[in-house]
Amino acid sequence: MNFELSEEQQLVSDSIERFVQDNYDLESRVAIVNKKPGFSPDYWKTMSELGWFGLPFSEEDGGFGGDQLDTMVLMEQFGKGLVLEPFLASIVLGGGVLKRTASETKRKAWLESVIDGSKQLALAYAEPESGFEPHNVAVAGTKTDDGYTLTGTKCMVLHGKTADAFVVSFRTSGGVVDQSGITLALIPADREGLTVQGFPTVDGLQSSELTFEKVTVTADDLLGDVDNGFVPLNATINDGILAVAAEALGAMEILYKDTVAYTQAREQFDHPLSDFQVLQHRMVEMFMEYEQCKSLLFRATMEVAAGGDDAQRCVHALKHLIGKAAFFVGENAVQTHGGMGVTEELRVGHYFKRLLVIEAQFGNADYHLDQFSA
Amino acid sequence: MDIELSNDDLSFEAEVREFLAGNAYKDGEDPNKWRMDWFEKAREKGGWDVPKWPTKFGGPGWTPNQHYIWQKETARSNTPWDMPFGLSMLGPVLMAHGSEEQQQRFLPDIRARKVNWCQGYSEPGAGSDLASLKTKAVLSEDGSHYIVNGTKIWTTMAHIADWIFCLTRTSDAGIKQEGITFLLFPMKQEGIEVKPIITLGGSHSVNTVFFTDIKVPVENRVGEEGKGWTYAKGLLEHERTGIAGISNSIVALEGLKEKANSVKRGNGSLMDVPSFKAKVAALEIDLMAVEYTELRSLATASAGTAPGPESSILKLKGTDIQQRIQKLTMEAGGQFSAAWGGTNAGPDFARAGMGGYMASRVYTIYGGASEVQKDIVTKKVLGIKSSKK
Ligand SMILES: Cc1cc2nc3c(=O)[nH]c(=O)nc-3n(C[C@H](O)[C@H](O)[C@H](O)COP(=O)(O)OP(=O)(O)OC[C@H]3O[C@@H](n4cnc5c(N)ncnc54)[C@H](O)[C@@H]3O)c2cc1C
Ligand SMILES: Cc1cc2nc3c(=O)[nH]c(=O)nc-3n(C[C@H](O)[C@H](O)[C@H](O)COP(=O)(O)OP(=O)(O)OC[C@H]3O[C@@H](n4cnc5c(N)ncnc54)[C@H](O)[C@@H]3O)c2cc1C
Repeated sequence: MNFELSEEQQLVSDSIERFVQDNYDLESRVAIVNKKPGFSPDYWKTMSELGWFGLPFSEEDGGFGGDQLDTMVLMEQFGKGLVLEPFLASIVLGGGVLKRTASETKRKAWLESVIDGSKQLALAYAEPESGFEPHNVAVAGTKTDDGYTLTGTKCMVLHGKTADAFVVSFRTSGGVVDQSGITLALIPADREGLTVQGFPTVDGLQSSELTFEKVTVTADDLLGDVDNGFVPLNATINDGILAVAAEALGAMEILYKDTVAYTQAREQFDHPLSDFQVLQHRMVEMFMEYEQCKSLLFRATMEVAAGGDDAQRCVHALKHLIGKAAFFVGENAVQTHGGMGVTEELRVGHYFKRLLVIEAQFGNADYHLDQFSA
Repeated sequence: MDIELSNDDLSFEAEVREFLAGNAYKDGEDPNKWRMDWFEKAREKGGWDVPKWPTKFGGPGWTPNQHYIWQKETARSNTPWDMPFGLSMLGPVLMAHGSEEQQQRFLPDIRARKVNWCQGYSEPGAGSDLASLKTKAVLSEDGSHYIVNGTKIWTTMAHIADWIFCLTRTSDAGIKQEGITFLLFPMKQEGIEVKPIITLGGSHSVNTVFFTDIKVPVENRVGEEGKGWTYAKGLLEHERTGIAGISNSIVALEGLKEKANSVKRGNGSLMDVPSFKAKVAALEIDLMAVEYTELRSLATASAGTAPGPESSILKLKGTDIQQRIQKLTMEAGGQFSAAWGGTNAGPDFARAGMGGYMASRVYTIYGGASEVQKDIVTKKVLGIKSSKK
């Protein structure tokens, strides 16, 4: 066992850290949030030039042959700056399904431009009544001569408004909550009958709702085998969980460190706040939660990357712990900053908001606890 | 000890219900006119517009049970918006420490909801340690007025308030708590600048307020110079019981259950999911207890004895409960609670979920943060004196 980053990973980590430090102070971030499309096309271009998007793709697909550990390194640094660009949506989620399912021709047609950033993908799997279950799919494909037509709604599609194409899950057989009978397709954003309504989320990111009105899906659009979409979908969602967990870890590091710094600078009752033992011990607890999350993140990511038997359980455990810690660290960072903690002026509030959204994404702490103990 | 309400209480309850139903807002009505009429009708009932004021100042002189009934019933119905600053904070201070002239000048307008007040206590350097406040008030040589200079922060509604009650420093001699003077002055005047502070989620309720050479006549000083701290502390106690919001939490908890019931999970609803159900139950149990903690506190208060330890924990427990309700409401909204406008996906209540939760974080900060509240219980209730400092 070895917890050290490889030399290459360390280089990537340092370069992302530098990028975030130079470009993602609070003021710059707020300016990007408030301007369409809600992330910086310039930063997106720089990121692609630095080669970050190729990390989790194989060399045959034009990537660097990395795995979930490389994405972890990147997402942790992204978390420290609350990076807004659609890396998760396009590379981890959309690209994640494509690299697992797409035919040779589809990979050629799409992955190169996804990796160079000129095209974006998004993943559309959640539905109004699906709760947190990725296998809960009600949107059904009606069989036609050459494929299907789709009618229905997909919700909370991250970065849908700027996506060039969607990876969509739909039901081709079985009951609404069956794992088998789910099929995946890649549907271009301009396909007739597909409407994309964009909206912001609490953390300043962009999400969307997709409405399908008799949308045609041809045999050529299908990703992988009919009825067998759940496995690659679930594997990709697991990648997404690992990615946001790493991002959350970066955000928690900022929160506990900012709190330590603030309590040393702020004086009340003729003492720095850091003199008060309840606050000292609270910060120790915040730090411990952070460290525990880091341990489980390493464990789950290595287990998934190695294809271990315990991978799914580790992912559930991780998302549970991250959710719990997100509340603990976030709430206490805010509380310990007093009034300043609840303003938009300090960055703690912004990191807290991002953690809240991560907690509600891909299943919250309760959901994964249930799955873990099931 | 007796858990039943008396017949008198029951008929009072019926009377309150009748009043609230009879004066409920009707669709299409002018909301402002309705509000003013509502308070007027409440006044005609014999001081129902100022339930907590003593009879001497027009209050209804209710028993603890009657207060409890009123709170419970009003929490359940749509009553007009009201602000605590004049009614529940400054009012009692004026009744206890103001001159008769000040009482006649200010109380009627507070009662009639004509004048909006704001509370100028906290400063950038004086939050939890309020007594270290620095806003300076200097008495003119002829003793006719003070000149006020300084900065207040977190002043709620300063941007719409007509008047401010303000703690100022008139002397640096002695301990910090001495030398603080309680002044009243209008907000709309030259030399006062109000700068908004935007809180999480983008709303504007708090402000930074800058005073430059504000002239305040001595008639606007409450009580004696240098005694403001004593008056202010009494006021904070009123503020704290108000913040506990227990009757509202009872209604909010029912709302939470209804919402969770409307969220489909499997063949049932979210309320059938054991982990969620258990959290709601644990919350309800705490709320059942704190409801009686409040009743015990009301009873001691009406017996005329000093507020007991019950009241000290009301704010701590009450705000914790409010925050948990907001948190569970957000959780019930699931992934949809992350949306920030611009979509109709998911249950209706989900879209306010994260906003409500974030707004609830201030409950354990304002009106004396929880940590400081616990320090007060340590000293005043457990009787522990720090050997150092
Ligand atoms: C079963 C057992 C076996 C032991 N074996 C050994 C042994 O083999 N060799 C040996 O040398 N000792 C041994 N000890 C002693 C042990 O190390 C002490 O009990 C321990 O250090 C606590 O000291 P104390 O009991 O005097 O409690 P105290 O120091 O009086 O502490 C009482 C409580 O106050 C808290 N407290 C103290 N200071 C602070 C502070 N600054 N801030 C906040 N809280 C504080 C403590 O955490 C504790 O909860 C043993 C004790 C037990 C119970
Ligand atoms: C939404 C909102 C509305 C408000 N409205 C008003 C208003 O209308 N008028 C007004 O005057 N004020 C108002 N306030 C101010 C409020 O009363 C203060 O924010 C509060 O007293 C805390 O002060 P602070 O923000 O300076 O935090 P600090 O005093 O800096 O405290 C920061 C943290 O340190 C902790 N801490 C401080 N001292 C100790 C200690 N000795 N031991 C352990 N922990 C400690 C605190 O509990 C807190 O968690 C409002 C605040 C908010 C957020």
